[in-house]
Order: sequence, then C-alpha cells, then structure tokens
Amino acid sequence: MAHPSTQPSGNALSAAFIVIAVPLIGAAFLRQFLLAEDWRLVLGLLALFAVVLVVLERLPALETRIETAFARQSRLALLVGIVVVLGFPFALGGNTYALHLCVISMLYAVLALALNFQLGSANIPNFATGASYGIGAYASALLALNFGVSFWLALPAAAVVATIFGFLLGIPSMRTRDSYLALVTIAFGVVVHQLLNNLDFTGGPNGLVGIPVPELFGHAFSDPLVVFGHALPPQANFYYLSALLVFISIVFAERLHDSRVGLAWNALRADELAARCQGINVTWYKVLAFAVDAFLAGFAGTIYAFYVGFISPDNFTFLVSVTIMTMVIAGGMDNILGVIVGAFLLTLLPEKLRAFSDYRILFFGVTVILFLMIRPQGLFPQRLRRYGD
Amino acid sequence: MAVSSSAPLVLEGENLTMRLGGLVAMAEVAFTLKRGEILGIIGPNGAGKSTLLNIITGIYIPSSGEVRLEGQRLNGVPAHKIVARGIARTFQSSRLFADLSVLDNVVIGRHTHTKAGVFDAIFRRRRAKAELEAAAAHAEDLLKSVSRGLHAQRHRPAGELAQADRRRLEIARALATDPKVLLLDEPSSGMDDSDTDALMDDIRAVCAQRPDLALMIIEHDMRLVASLPHRVMVLDYGQKLADGPYEEIRKIPRVQEAYLGRKATQHAGA
Ligand SMILES: Nc1ncnc2c1ncn2[C@@H]1O[C@H](COP(=O)(O)OP(=O)(O)OP(=O)(O)O)[C@@H](O)[C@H]1O
Ligand SMILES: [Mg+2]
Repeated sequence: MAHPSTQPSGNALSAAFIVIAVPLIGAAFLRQFLLAEDWRLVLGLLALFAVVLVVLERLPALETRIETAFARQSRLALLVGIVVVLGFPFALGGNTYALHLCVISMLYAVLALALNFQLGSANIPNFATGASYGIGAYASALLALNFGVSFWLALPAAAVVATIFGFLLGIPSMRTRDSYLALVTIAFGVVVHQLLNNLDFTGGPNGLVGIPVPELFGHAFSDPLVVFGHALPPQANFYYLSALLVFISIVFAERLHDSRVGLAWNALRADELAARCQGINVTWYKVLAFAVDAFLAGFAGTIYAFYVGFISPDNFTFLVSVTIMTMVIAGGMDNILGVIVGAFLLTLLPEKLRAFSDYRILFFGVTVILFLMIRPQGLFPQRLRRYGD
Repeated sequence: MAVSSSAPLVLEGENLTMRLGGLVAMAEVAFTLKRGEILGIIGPNGAGKSTLLNIITGIYIPSSGEVRLEGQRLNGVPAHKIVARGIARTFQSSRLFADLSVLDNVVIGRHTHTKAGVFDAIFRRRRAKAELEAAAAHAEDLLKSVSRGLHAQRHRPAGELAQADRRRLEIARALATDPKVLLLDEPSSGMDDSDTDALMDDIRAVCAQRPDLALMIIEHDMRLVASLPHRVMVLDYGQKLADGPYEEIRKIPRVQEAYLGRKATQHAGA
C-alpha cells in the first residue's frame, strides 16, 4: 500500500484549498440529497456519488493527497467542519423533514461509531447495540417520567446504566468467540426486547409516552430556535444537540483509536493468541469494548427518547442492531469518516427511495451492493497509523 | 561464547506432564535454563516441543509438574501476565498482526511497559500520546537493531513481508517486551539456506547485545542446531531423551535413530 508521499511545503495553500473545498462540496451534496423530491434527482445524486467512489478507487494518489491535506491542516479542517455543521440547518430553508433526517442520521452515526469500537477495532460481532440504545432510551425516559429528572441529568445517568448492562453482556461473552459470541449478543438483544415488551414499569408494548421536552436556560427544545433573527424549526435544537454528541463520539473514537487501547483492540482482532502473548489481557479488552459501545449507545438512546417524546420496544429491535452493523461494514471498518458516511447513507437511502414504494428495500439492497462492489473494503477503509507527524 | 557455570538459573521446569485428551504430549520432563544461555530443542514431529513452549508461556496448564521463573511458580498464571514477568515467544507458524504496520506490531510488544487506559486516552490525551510515541520511538530503535531491512519497511502492513522478515518481526515484537527469556519456535521453518544463515546472524547479534537474555530455540535445521545453542535437549514422544552439548548428544545412538536420522549420521561421520 502506498503511504502519503512527503510533498514540498509550497503545497500548503493547495492543502488549505482542499480542506475548505471538500467539506463544502460534501455539505452541498448532502443538502441536495436531503431536499431532492424527484426520484430521478435522487438516482442522479447516487450515481454521482458512485462516480466519486470509482475515481477515488482508481486514483489512490488523489485519495492520499486529500488525506495528507487534512492531516496537515487539521486545525483548519476542524474549523471548517464546525462552520459547515453549524451553518447547515440554515441551508435547508426551514425544511423540517430534512432536519429530522439529519437528527436521525447523526444518532445512527453515534451508534455506528459506538459499534465500530467492537466490530471495527476488535472484530467482536456485537448484535446488541440496538439493545444498549434501547436501555439508554428507557433508562432516561423512566428517570424523567417517574422522578422528574431533567434531560441533562438523565443523559449521563442513562449512559451509566447502559454501560453497566454492557459490562454484564461482556461477561458471558468473555468465554465465547466468533459465531458463538454473536449468538450471545443476539440472545441479549432478544432478552432486552422481551423484557421491555413484558414488564409493567416499561409500559409493555405501548412503551412510554409523554417524555418531557428538554429545556436549556429557559429555552424549550420544542420552540423554534432563533439565531440572529433567523428562526429555525424546533428540530434544529436537537440537530445541534446530536451534532455535539457526534463530535464527542468522534473525539472518543479518534483518541481511543490512536492509543494503546486501540492498538490492543486491533491486536486481538488480528490474532487473539498472539495478542495474549504480547501481554494483552484479551478478556478485559473485550469487556471494555462492550462497555464503551454501550456508553455511547446509551447517550444516543437518551437523545432519541427526548427527541421523539415516545418510545416503544419496537424502536429497538434486532433489526436496528443489524442496520447499525451494516453501517459499520459498508462505511468502512475502523475508519471514523467511513462509519459516519455509512450511517448517513443507510439512514437516508430508504427515505429517499420512497418513490419506489414496494421496491424500496430492493433498491436499497442493490445500492449498497453496488457501492460495495466499487469499494470492497467499505466506502472508506481502515488506514495504517503513523506516529509523530 | 560459553555460559559460565556459575550463571544463575532463570527458568526451570520440573516433572512436567501434559495430557491432551487421551494423549500424553509431555511426560515428566525437566529442564533448566541459565541466564545468557541458549538452549536448543530438537525432536521429531509431534515430540512435544511446541507443547513445552505452550506450557511455559501459560497457553497450556500442565497436568502436573511446575515451571519456575527465577524461583517463582508460573503454573496458573495467565499468559498475559507471564509476558509481563519476562517470558516472550514466537510461533511456529508466524502469527503477526497482519493488517497493522510493521512498526505497530512492535509497538504492541510494548504493551506491558505502557499504562494508558481508556480514561487516559480520552481525558489525559497528552500523557497517553507521549507514552505511545515513546513506545514507537523505542520500537523504531529495536527494529533498526534487529534488522535494517525490516526497519526500512516499518510502514508496510506486516502481512506483506517476506517469510524471513516475518520471522525477524516476530522476534523484534517479542524483544519489545524486554524479556528475560525468549522462546523461538522453529524460526527457520519455511526458509532456504541463505535466509537461515542471515537469520542466524541476526539472532546472534540480538544475543550479543543482550548478554543476559536466555534463549530456548526449537529447530529442525541441523546447521543451526550444531552452531547456535550452548546445549541441546532432545525430546521424543513427550519424553526427554538427552540433554547436553551438541557434540555429545549427536553421538547417542537413540538420538540418531529417533531424530537425527541418516542425514545427521552422515554429518557426524563426515
Ligand atoms: N491442543 C492439542 N490437543 C490435542 N493434541 C495436541 C494439542 N496440541 C498438540 N497436540 C499433540 O501433542 C503432541 C505434541 O505436539 P507438539 O506440537 O508439541 O509437537 P512438536 O514437537 O512441536 O512437533 P512439530 O515438530 O510438528 O512442531 C502431538 O501428537 C500433537 O498432535
Ligand atoms: Mg511444534
């Protein structure tokens, strides 16, 4: 594999240009895709995305060029990213449905990043991320409904509850591997779903209703968000909240990936026995991956519960876990950008293909397969680490 | 280079028996290893050589008998803690972290000498990063000292290396744990003569730089067995047949029959 060639420093300007242009183009593309009503436009945009992927696949030099630019200008990249994310709702022209899709996509991005610690970094097939998501949602909703706990307190509390369950799930998983491990996590997901469905205090199949709207400094999240005299729809409140959570998840993911912990996970992914023989406590690192996954999923669950105000067991089924898993695999294992793009694509596709009514899921499947044929390792595959630059 | 007879024992095994299912893979084997000593282990296929390494490194728990590192019992200590106490190994069929860079493979070898956990990685990033970068610098130096050719390839995925370099990388990764005892399981397997010679030179250099390092090396290549180890132990059907300098053990008829075979008999005669 080619690694980034060291280019002369005279390229700083073009690097800056790349770092500004690429996110803007990406955002413009996402905006068009979100607002597209006509199915022909949707297909056209998907085709355009496919072309970009083909070009990237054919010209690895271009890809490394872009990557190096972002690595060099990481501060500028962060700044551009923040500006684009903050400004994006204003570009949607008050379209509440588009904003709603953004919120859901971002929550899935968090879930996919959470699962990526396990599936991508450590190759632990966890089919229970949807369950952790549900545990977070129910824990915070119950706290709010029964004890009047505010959203801001319920958020960390629910994450802690989900983490505890993550640890619990990790314990039987320590003794199993591969397909057996997958089975344990599937069973866990089913048990959680059944409990939510049958327990009284979780509201049974009807779930929980009337989850109060979060407030911040007297501003209710159900009110429009007025910024500089410009009113954004109420969904914008949750847009910014989820964006913050995505940001936090990215920071977590990046820091863990580039640490001794990420390396240990990668080691046990590649060869568990060899990892043990380098002094890695394989069992502990597996349980840790479960806990980190559940922690982030718990956060996402809380935001979801307070966003929609109503949750039921069917929001957190096995299918949700499978969808999250597909996002990680299709997006790119152990690649943060890939996982996020995967989450957006897989959340938005079914919505945008509604024109095909009954054939929607078929088209969805075909599109994913086509993209994977272009990029067999996922949209943005794993990268080797570099030190000290 | 001889080992002084007064050198202290680092590793010893006593009465080691290993039953795997119905099979006795190892029966009442005892061995000793002194500081700075190189012990060769030979024996036909299935003799129990790798089994012995697996017992020492905690992959297997012996059915009876015990292993002691500097007098401390190792039975029941989990594999990852045995590494931290100072025993490192390579594998018969190389087991690298194939999709990670050559450098990362060695950095992972520093695991027991670094500390950062999840909390440090996220909230004390500077410290965690500094620690990891120090480990990477250490790994670079180690690669350079084991093999310049390998060091030049440090940013490639380990899975792309040629056979001989895989072996070197496995040795470098094991050395990164700063072991007192290094166990090599057939390092020259699958290599031609010139590769084996180059590898032998590298192993010699490694030992010369670390006079205190004790080495156990399982080998089939007789040229290597004849020249590298100070002492050779012969295993057959899980039992110890002989233990002594190569010059002595190669004369024992049962050893010739059991392992060295016709080829070695000719060698001895030549
Ligand atoms: N996990 C296991 N379960 C059952 N039998 C095993 C196991 N590991 C090894 N054996 C058996 O134990 C015996 C000793 O095997 P071992 O791998 O130690 O031999 P070896 O001397 O290293 O041989 P080789 O030169 O082929 O590597 C063999 O008969 C082998 O089939
Ligand atoms: Mg063997």
